[in-house]
Amino acid sequence: MGMDGLFSIFPPEDFTLLCVILGLPLLGAFVNGVFGKRLGKEAVSLMALVAVGGSFMASCAAFFMLMQRQTETEAARFVWHGWKWLDISGNGDFQIPIEIAFSVDALSGGMALIVTGVGFLIHLYSTEYMAEDDGFHRFFAYLNLFIFSMLVLILGDNLPVLFIGWEGVGMCSYLLIGFWFTEEANAVAGKKAFVTNRIGDFGLLVAMALLVWHVGALDWQGIEAGANNLLTPIKIYPLGNGVPAWLPDFIRGPLTPEDPRGVRVTAATLVGFALFLGCAGKSAQLPLYVWLPDAMAGPTPVSALIHAATMVTAGVYLCCRMAAVFVLSPATMATIAIVGLATALLAASIAFAQNDIKKVLAYSTVSQLGYMFIGIGVGAFATGFFHVITHAFFKACLFLGAGSVIHAMHARIHDVDRSQDMRNMGGMRNFMPITHLTFLASCLAIAGLPLTSGFFSKDEILFKAYTSTIATPQVSDGEWIDRSTQVTWPAMQAWTPPEDLGRWIYTLALLGAVMTAFYMFRLYFRVFWGEFRGWTIVRGWVAPAGGHHGHDDHEHDSDEPLDGPKPHESALQITVPLVVLGVLAIFAGGLNAHAFFHSHLFDDWVAPVLATASSSVGEIEGAKEMMMPLLLPGIGAFAIGVGGAYWVYVMQRGEPAASFVEKVPWLHRIVYEKWRVDELYEETFIGAVDTLGDMAVWVDQYVVDAVVARVTSFAVAASGTILRTMQTGRVHAYGAVMVAGLGALGWFFIAPQAVVTVLADDDSGVYSVTASPGLGYQYRWDEDGDGELDSDDFGDKARVDVQLGRSEVRLVQVEVKNALGFRSIEQIGLFRPQRDGASDGLAGAAQEAKEAADSAAKSQKALQDIQRVLQQAGGNLPGAGKQPAPKPVGGAP
Amino acid sequence: MGALLGNVLEHYVMLAGVLFTIGAVGFLVRRNVLVQLMSIELMLNAVNLAFVAYNRVHGDDMNGHMFVFFIIAVAAAEVAVGLAIVLSFYRLTGSVHSDDADALKG
Amino acid sequence: MIGAGNVLFVIAGILALAGALITVSSRNPIRGAMGLLATIFGIALLFLKLNAQFLAAIQVIVYAGAVVVLFVFVIMLLGPDALGEVGSFPKGKSKVSRGIGGGLLAILAGVALVLLAGRGGAHVRFGDVQPDHGSVEAVGGLLFSRGLVAFELATALLIVAVIGAIAVARGKQTKSHLTPAQRGDGEFFHGTVVARDDRGRPPSKGDG
Repeated sequence: MGMDGLFSIFPPEDFTLLCVILGLPLLGAFVNGVFGKRLGKEAVSLMALVAVGGSFMASCAAFFMLMQRQTETEAARFVWHGWKWLDISGNGDFQIPIEIAFSVDALSGGMALIVTGVGFLIHLYSTEYMAEDDGFHRFFAYLNLFIFSMLVLILGDNLPVLFIGWEGVGMCSYLLIGFWFTEEANAVAGKKAFVTNRIGDFGLLVAMALLVWHVGALDWQGIEAGANNLLTPIKIYPLGNGVPAWLPDFIRGPLTPEDPRGVRVTAATLVGFALFLGCAGKSAQLPLYVWLPDAMAGPTPVSALIHAATMVTAGVYLCCRMAAVFVLSPATMATIAIVGLATALLAASIAFAQNDIKKVLAYSTVSQLGYMFIGIGVGAFATGFFHVITHAFFKACLFLGAGSVIHAMHARIHDVDRSQDMRNMGGMRNFMPITHLTFLASCLAIAGLPLTSGFFSKDEILFKAYTSTIATPQVSDGEWIDRSTQVTWPAMQAWTPPEDLGRWIYTLALLGAVMTAFYMFRLYFRVFWGEFRGWTIVRGWVAPAGGHHGHDDHEHDSDEPLDGPKPHESALQITVPLVVLGVLAIFAGGLNAHAFFHSHLFDDWVAPVLATASSSVGEIEGAKEMMMPLLLPGIGAFAIGVGGAYWVYVMQRGEPAASFVEKVPWLHRIVYEKWRVDELYEETFIGAVDTLGDMAVWVDQYVVDAVVARVTSFAVAASGTILRTMQTGRVHAYGAVMVAGLGALGWFFIAPQAVVTVLADDDSGVYSVTASPGLGYQYRWDEDGDGELDSDDFGDKARVDVQLGRSEVRLVQVEVKNALGFRSIEQIGLFRPQRDGASDGLAGAAQEAKEAADSAAKSQKALQDIQRVLQQAGGNLPGAGKQPAPKPVGGAP
Repeated sequence: MGALLGNVLEHYVMLAGVLFTIGAVGFLVRRNVLVQLMSIELMLNAVNLAFVAYNRVHGDDMNGHMFVFFIIAVAAAEVAVGLAIVLSFYRLTGSVHSDDADALKG
Repeated sequence: MIGAGNVLFVIAGILALAGALITVSSRNPIRGAMGLLATIFGIALLFLKLNAQFLAAIQVIVYAGAVVVLFVFVIMLLGPDALGEVGSFPKGKSKVSRGIGGGLLAILAGVALVLLAGRGGAHVRFGDVQPDHGSVEAVGGLLFSRGLVAFELATALLIVAVIGAIAVARGKQTKSHLTPAQRGDGEFFHGTVVARDDRGRPPSKGDG
């Protein structure tokens, strides 16, 4: 009943509720950004919270409406068409209209809920966390703008609109990473994130161009409908090797059915790679993950919202959106899975050695994103997306918990780096029980304790990695016709991944799960268990063990009390979001608990949207029976990881780790320094660009500045010297020049203009000559070409029709008299060719004309006129017989 | 001939031409900036007259009137700014003699 | 036959021409402004004859009511300095200007003679017009339909011009490096006369 009311207000084909969802955060960003400074902190936080909260409510309403409409097979989809944005020329003679349009379906509806819901909690958290900051209003303006951009990304109905949001979140990320831009490191980190993302965006742009070319659509429905066009074989150098591969295409000629060069690459593969490059940039996958750990320079709520829960999962979202494209290329799918796996393992290994609490969480995020891409790569789109959701809960909770700890540490240690260093923490569970419990809940979830959300999502990914298969696309079945070009291609075999790839992925991902459990509980035990190690930091404090430590140079006045403030539990605005997210981190798995409860609510919910893609994904025989056997190693991984961490960091108080570091210091060092990937990039790519820049500087200094600039300046100075003499400084001199020009113009208008237009019709031989009109113009003509004007009186006749025979040449004259009595005369040579169309071309026509002119014994002047006519009309002569075309003839008086 | 007076286009165009020339000559010959500005006004008025006269030939549209309307608006703006410049110029040099405005002399 | 319309044209034409001649030739700018006024009224009369009632009204209101008044106001403000030059035509280095002026006038006279001699081609006679041609309703309707954008732009132009005029006439409020006497402020505001060079300029233009 209530639903019917909602549907009457917001009909599915004109779903203006989307404007509410999008508009509120934009309004918040505007108000806070423009008026925030004057509004005061209470008003700013109220505006920000109401904007995101209202957006969340609207998203909930949209979600319930979707639930009402969606059936098991048919996806519900509500669209709002804004306006037409632009037209793009497609492959062929048609235009692809791009609309500013937004739509919501199961996938984007769920994502919008996460963004606005988690976003609201983090806004609430930030009101307390950022309370002391001078840039309070700026922070909330950026945060609201981020929510808006993210919603544009999610709800956009086509790739260009998504791209607007994609760039918008990138910009907000940049602004918020460098939020404390007075520290240079933060500004550099922001720049790094921005530049790295640009590399990915290049991929996305290329993918858009390729989709326009091959599919002819950029909106979701159009892409899905036309995706099969992507099975066009293409050439990616140096793949495809019928003829020597190293020969460039312009030597070997274009790709043809007769010469397919053993091609196995389809456009789908190319588009897939380009899209995945974009996703890898935004979602921090190899090789573009390097920006995300540095992005932790921003405030902690930003890390939680943007760099853990929402923005970085945009790549996964896009992969699910474009699933119908990805499944057409098994090679791309395998690449995604392998890249995801490699990223997961690499990031997990780095997380072992980090001491900064946020760095550990950052690498954990990269690692978990890797798991999501494993899910995408094996065709388990729904499962990968489910991991996005559970990860949003537990990783946001972890970051916010870490922020709460940092907040507490900060109250005691006024130093950003030290208050984030785990070596200064310990025993925090005694000071902050709520933070501790929620952090523990999230740790358990990410490590995969059975029945928590992380268990159900991650182990489902592992299970799918083992059991899923991607069908080889239809392109291999016999001959195949390219719809857009109507070219028939011979049978081809698409590349298929090796059969045991899934098993390898499963095994290595399991190893990653052990690592995840270990490093997360290393973090947990070191922060929350044991004794608080931060006492030594405040100057003059005698540590319980006795004696000073190395940190007593801290700048505190000596008359301060010896014991600094204790760490304390945070305020309600911080703990409430923690509790909500912690609860969700534990229980959200119930939405898709295949393993124990046979619940697949979430899979069913997104299934209609992913139906096209899922039809290409199968599973190996006996997959159902394998669920339990494949689950047990996952539970084992959790037990080993957590048990190992407990043994090392609680029972042995970190001794094994310390002795390990002493035994193989080089290994610890290289892991601690993040495998020196940044240094590698610095030496190779960045170094190369730097060198290029240096060369450009050299050219600028010694070529442009030395030669070009001097020549130019000399030329300017020389001409200035000449022109300066004309610059008398007398207004009258300038005025006189103006009047002289005016006089010339006036003469042009007063003098009669005898200009004629000839309309030639070579077929009938009628040539109509029209003289242009003017003020008080009168005309008299010489039609018969005898050189004498036909009458002595002027008349109003402005046009004559002359009938010519074959090869005849005639010189027509017209005399014009204007209102002032001035006269002007003009002659026009007319010539009709021997044959229609003068097929011999211009030379023949000219010859003909000469003969005709000679035989008619016309004067030399007539001959010249004819030649001029021929020159002017020359280009048109061969076609002149087909249709009459106006040819301007004649000139100045 | 007499009955044609004022009923044919040429007379108005001629009158406009004469007015325009008087204005142009005044602008060139006089050294008083104020008089030069007035001469500009004369030229503008001459153009307006020509516009309206030509428009009178085309009895069914009024584009010429539109042009004149906007020319008058622009002329008003031009006089306001021009006289302000004259005042400013006078304050700077103490004269309204246009030969004194030679700061840009090369 | 000569009717009232012909007489109106002759009177208005003579009024306009005489006013124009006075404008450019009178030594006293006030008299010049009065000449301009005569021209404006003459042209307003011609507008009436040409069925441009609306423009005739605008001509009187804007030109006579605003522009000429502004001229007179400025001339009064400047006082005797507004004379600017010794004679109505400058002496000294004016042979070129006089040559140009005389030449142009000669051309003008020649053209006028040619036209008046009636040697021209066909006359372009005025035909019939719509009954509301040039009326306030018709021009207004056109202005607010086809000319709306231009109209709005014209309003913007006028506002900019007013603000610009104020900004220019006020001059810089910051302190100049010149003394008040050098700037000419003293004589302007207090009527004191400072020494001038032979061109009538104050002695200080930073030459040298």
